[in-house]
Amino acid sequence: MGLLRKLLAFLHLQGHGELLAVGARAPAFELPDHTGASVRLSDFAGRTVVLWFYPKADTPG
Amino acid sequence: MLGISFDAPEHNRAFAEKFSFPFRLLCDTSRDIAIAYGAARSRRDRFPARYTYVIGPDGRILEALDTSSPASQAAEILARR
Repeated sequence: MGLLRKLLAFLHLQGHGELLAVGARAPAFELPDHTGASVRLSDFAGRTVVLWFYPKADTPG
Repeated sequence: MLGISFDAPEHNRAFAEKFSFPFRLLCDTSRDIAIAYGAARSRRDRFPARYTYVIGPDGRILEALDTSSPASQAAEILARR
């Protein structure tokens, strides 16, 4: 972990826990999407899902 | 493909409309799901880490990626396929 990342984590700016292991069961979730509609991981059973965590809406990179 | 951040729906709606994303943006305002996926450690964290997961049809994790440096990550993924 780089120094910048350690500093961001210390300041609670950007969280960094441990990546989950390949082969582990993906934790279930139910969250509103950008339209307010509810989305559950189980809605995608039988399909491959890419779950992309991004820091903040409308920021570069 | 699902995007996920700590933003409220109105902020993510503006983001989605600005770039016409062909996927949905999820609003983990409590941070609980980011914590479950290791992308945050605390509800006090302001932003999640840039982690990307590929979840297979059986609900198990096929790929777990720290995408802080996307270019090198893309090359790594392509090299494995």
